[in-house]
This record gives sequence, structure tokens and C-alpha cells, in this order.
Amino acid sequence: MEDKQSYWQENLRLIFICLAIWFVVSFGFGLLLVEPLNAIRLGGYKLGFWFAQQGSIYTFVGLIFWYGKKMNDLDKKYNVEDS
Amino acid sequence: MNKHTKTAILVAPILTILGFALADLWEESEAQQERAFELVPFGHCDVSNQKCILKSGEFEINVMDANGITTVNSTYPLDTATLFLVDKNNQAKPYQLGMKDSPYYWKRETPIGTLLSNKGDSAKLRVIIEIKGGKYFAEFYTQTTQ
Repeated sequence: MEDKQSYWQENLRLIFICLAIWFVVSFGFGLLLVEPLNAIRLGGYKLGFWFAQQGSIYTFVGLIFWYGKKMNDLDKKYNVEDS
Repeated sequence: MNKHTKTAILVAPILTILGFALADLWEESEAQQERAFELVPFGHCDVSNQKCILKSGEFEINVMDANGITTVNSTYPLDTATLFLVDKNNQAKPYQLGMKDSPYYWKRETPIGTLLSNKGDSAKLRVIIEIKGGKYFAEFYTQTTQ
């Protein structure tokens, strides 16, 4: 029972980290900090604009696989892997 | 592909769409707040010879005068355009311009051409432009060069 709770707590922690990263790249970099980031250029594009158009999507795709890997590790740790 | 990756792949598009919807709401509320920007002359300003460009970022207006008609041409459609002729006592006389065929061109008969008819003549002008999302203003001098 304690293991289940601990597993769920770590799972929630991972979800909140993912949501925080999702918020930072989409709203933080793409909207709230767009002006200061636009002072930086990435391959000719303004960085704030790039995050709003492409960077956030790339980060979301990266987050999918990162979350999958971290959850796999968690499954192994708590011995609840798919058979 | 394990169950967690599958779950994440299903959830990510929902968060992405939610993000875009919220970003749209945010941008809409930002656009409704009125803001003011200063237009700065780009090079020498000579209204009589159709060489007077004022800029603020990507927004540009060209102020020109020909045959007693003063015209303002802009890169974006305008809601209103008002030109002020400032005299030696710093008193400004407003001239509300009217739309000419499209919201990119605004014109009105003004005495600017008469005041600047000779080489070397100069005048102090002000302009206030209203555009969706803000106001643009400028105080500038025009001098006839030829």
C-alpha cells in the first residue's frame, strides 16, 4: 500500500514537472518573455518568435519521450512493469 | 512503445490545443489595451517634395504635400489620422485627415504647401495616428530642400 502511494506521488511529481515545462516554453517563452527573447537570434529567427512557432512543439515531443522513459524507470523501481 | 508513452502521445495534443487557445485569448486581451508608440523621422523630412517618412518598428507613414493637399500614406490601415501645424508660439492647429479610397491613404487640404513653397522653408508638425491596438504620434520638422 505504501509502495503504491509512493509510486503515485512520484508519478504526480513527474506530471507536474512536465506541466511546468509545458507552461514555461509555451506561455513563458512564447508570450510572457517574447520581447527579451526576440533580442536573441537563432538561425536568423527571433528566439521568442521561434519558441512560439516551433520550439514549444519540439519541447512537447521531447517531453513525451522523456516522460515515457522516466515512467519506465519508475515502473522498474516499484516492480510494476508490463509483463 | 509502452503504455506511458502512448498516454503521453494522447495527452500532448490536448495540452497543445489548450495552449494555443489560451495564447489566443491572452493576445486578444493584450491587443485591446491601448498603447502609444512614437514615430521617428527616417532621414530628412521634406513634405513638399514627398520625402518624409516616419517609422516605428515595421509601421511606416509617409507625409507628403502636393497642390495644397496633404496626404498621409501608411503601411497598415489606419482608423484616424490627425496632422497638427505648430506655429512659432507652439500653438498647434489640428487638421483631421479624411480617408482617400482606402484606409492606407488619408488626405486633406492644408496650408502646409503654401508655408513651405520656397527652398529652406521649414515648419514644425505633429501627427497622431490611431490604429487598432494603439496610437502612434510624432513631432517633427519638415524643411523644403529644392
